[in-house]
Amino acid sequence: MAYGRTFHQNGNAHGRFKRTYHRRKVCKFCADSSLVIDYKDPRTLRYFTTERGKITPSRISGNCAKHQRELALAIKRARKMALLPYTTSLVR
Amino acid sequence: MKYYETLYLINPNLSDEENHDIINRFNELIEKKGGVVIRVDEWGKKTLAYTVKKFDKGYYVLLQYCGDGTIVPQIERAMQLDERILKYQTIKLSDHENPEELKAKAEENGKADEQQSGDTEKATSGEESKSGNDQEG
Repeated sequence: MAYGRTFHQNGNAHGRFKRTYHRRKVCKFCADSSLVIDYKDPRTLRYFTTERGKITPSRISGNCAKHQRELALAIKRARKMALLPYTTSLVR
Repeated sequence: MKYYETLYLINPNLSDEENHDIINRFNELIEKKGGVVIRVDEWGKKTLAYTVKKFDKGYYVLLQYCGDGTIVPQIERAMQLDERILKYQTIKLSDHENPEELKAKAEENGKADEQQSGDTEKATSGEESKSGNDQEG
């Protein structure tokens, strides 16, 4: 706590320190090799989309660039075959 | 030979016989054009994420086959002309594969899948009974 307070005071003095939370995210697919990115598996892909059906950005999901690319491709393929929605209507 | 996979959607209002007619038709077409059918997986009737040609359900069939590059446009053209097919998508899985090896593997996997699915069914039913107990408690 003491450290936190001094940090805060310093921040006020200089006027530009911001307290940022930095939680380290690990790519799910790197951490678990049994998870495979497959367009035929909409259940896994749905986890990486928003409620509106958009693809979650990697800065939020924490995926590495390589897997994010593969994931985006898989989601687009799944959308084409009506396994995942392009958009969700407001009525639903 | 190249290894391809085509996922296609059949009109949901057809009878089982008609579905099998369609599936057999494409399998025969592939063999006629010099390809080898590795595996046919019928997913069955599923709800679509959005309406396709005013249908909100569709009968999914996954078709995996080997062949050279000329086979894909021929299959896709046949699907395009068939009004019972709502959608199709072909993806190349790999460039150089031995169809006989793949066939053997697919058969092995098929057996393993059957066993696994049996296990998972048991497991899920076990979980359900547990969760039921939790709710009661």
